[in-house]
Amino acid sequence: MKKIYLKVLTLFCFWSVLFSCATTRLVKPLEKGQQVVGGNFGGPLISFGGVPMTIPYTSAFYAKGLNNKTSGFGSVHLTSLAFGVFQTDIGICRELYYTPKYKMGISINPAVNFAIDRWEWKARLWPQVDMNIYKNFGDNKFFYAGLSNWFETNPNRPHGETQVKYWFASPQVGFMYTKNKWTYGLETKWVAPGVPNQPNVADYIGPNHMGAIGIYFQLNRRLR
Amino acid sequence: MKQLSSLLLLVVLSSCLRLDSNLYNLEDKITEYKLDGNAGLQDFVLDASYAVQDSMKHLFTLDSKGSGDDKSYKIYALYIGEIEKIKTDTVILYCHGNKWHMDFYWQRAKLLAHTGGKHRYGVMMMDYRGYGLSEGNPTEEGLFADVDACMAWLKSKGMNNSRLVIYGFSMGSAPATKLCASPRSLTPNKLLLEAPFASADVLAADGAGLNVPGSYVTNLKLNNGELIKEVKQDFFWIHGTVDNFLNMKTHGEIIYKNHGGNYKEAHRIEGADHGTVPATYGFKDYLASIEAFMIR
Repeated sequence: MKKIYLKVLTLFCFWSVLFSCATTRLVKPLEKGQQVVGGNFGGPLISFGGVPMTIPYTSAFYAKGLNNKTSGFGSVHLTSLAFGVFQTDIGICRELYYTPKYKMGISINPAVNFAIDRWEWKARLWPQVDMNIYKNFGDNKFFYAGLSNWFETNPNRPHGETQVKYWFASPQVGFMYTKNKWTYGLETKWVAPGVPNQPNVADYIGPNHMGAIGIYFQLNRRLR
Repeated sequence: MKQLSSLLLLVVLSSCLRLDSNLYNLEDKITEYKLDGNAGLQDFVLDASYAVQDSMKHLFTLDSKGSGDDKSYKIYALYIGEIEKIKTDTVILYCHGNKWHMDFYWQRAKLLAHTGGKHRYGVMMMDYRGYGLSEGNPTEEGLFADVDACMAWLKSKGMNNSRLVIYGFSMGSAPATKLCASPRSLTPNKLLLEAPFASADVLAADGAGLNVPGSYVTNLKLNNGELIKEVKQDFFWIHGTVDNFLNMKTHGEIIYKNHGGNYKEAHRIEGADHGTVPATYGFKDYLASIEAFMIR
C-alpha cells in the first residue's frame, strides 16, 4: 500500500485533534448580548505529491456574549459532515485579566469536542482548553499568542493497546482585524510539536519532523 | 428532546462521501504485462542470477466470483514453475500490495521463486479485480474472492492444504490473513506477512494522534489485528523498523502479538522502509529466513 492515495484519506480523516481543524473560536469575549456567526478554513500542512498544502477543514460557528467577560460558542464541522460525521465544539470564552493601560488581556476557552458517525454510530469526546494573551492595536486590530490543548480521554488505542499520550499542546499566534461588521483572522499554530510526525500515513510538515504547522483563516460577521 | 432529534436528523441527513474507492492505488495503467521488460518504477530489480526462463512463467486468466457478486470477473494470474508439478510441489501464493499491478511486484515474486533454490517452490500471484488488466473494481470482499479463485485453480491442479503457503505484503496481508482465519477452497498451511497493517482504526488513530475511529473515514474493515487471533497456522512476520508508511510498532507488532497459533517468528529488519525489506535485509538472508520457516 503506497502513500499517494492514502494521503487523500488523511486530507479528510484527521479532523479533530492532533491536527486541530480550527482557530481558537473567540480570543476576546463579546459584549453582553452581542452575536457573531463565522467560519474557518484551513488545517495542518501536508506534502501532497511534493507540494505543501493545507488540509481543507471547514467549520461554521455561532457565538453570543453571555456577559461582558464570558461568551458561549458552538460549531459544526462541515468537512466532517460531508463524510457522514457530525462534529461540534461547544464551549465558552472567559476573560481572565485585562489591563487598559497596556491594552492587553488573557482569556481561556474551555470546550468540548464531540463527534459521532452515521455508519457505526461511534462517538468520541475530546476536551479542549485554549489560553491566549492578546494585545489590542487601536480599536479594530489585535494580535494574540497562546496554547491550544487537546486531551484524549480514552485509555485504549485500537486493539486494546494502551494510549500513551493524553495531552496534545499546540502553540499558536494569530491576528484579527475588524472592519464594520466583519472580522478577518489569520492564525498559525504548531500542532502537537511533541509528537513525531513520522512514520505516518500522512506527510505532515513540521519542524524536525515533529507535529505539523497549521494555517487557518477565519471570517466572522457580527449580527447585533 | 427536540434538540436531540435535530442532532440525529443532521447526522442522518449528512452527506455520504467515503474514501473507500480512493484507497486503492490503481494509478499506473497498463495494456500488457511486461514482467522483466518493465522499465517502470519498482522497489528493486534483481540481477541476472535470479532470471526465470520464459517456460516457467505462466500468465493466464481466472474467473472470480465472490458470494456478494452478481457476476464473475476475469482476473489475471501468474504462475512461476511447472504447472504439472503443482500436484506434488509446495506453492507460495503471493498476495501483492496496493500499488498498481503484477509488473510492479514481478521482482518480488521472482525472488520468492528462488526460496531454497531456483524453482524449489512454485509461486503464484494475481492482480485483484481492478488492478492491472483484471476486470472490475476493487472491493474488500473482492480481494478475498480473487485470492480464493487462485486457491480453487491450484486445487484443480492437485494442490492440497498441507503444501499451500500464503504470503501477504502490505494490503495483501488482508486476504492472506482472512483466508487463513476463514478458509475457503483450501486451508493454507503457513502464513507469511510482510509489512502488514493492523486495521483502518490504527490507520486513523496513527494519523490523528487521538483515537479517531476508522469508520469516520472509510467503511473498509481490513481488520487484520483482530482476524489474526483466529489464525492457527504457523506465522512468519517481517517488517522494516523504519517503515514510514505502516508503522512497525502500531501495525506489525499488534498482528504479531495477536496471532492465535502456537508458532510464530518475527523478523524486524533494521533500517528497512515499507518497500525495502528484501533489499535492506539482503536477498540471500531474506530467502534463507523464509526457507527456514518453510521447512521447519
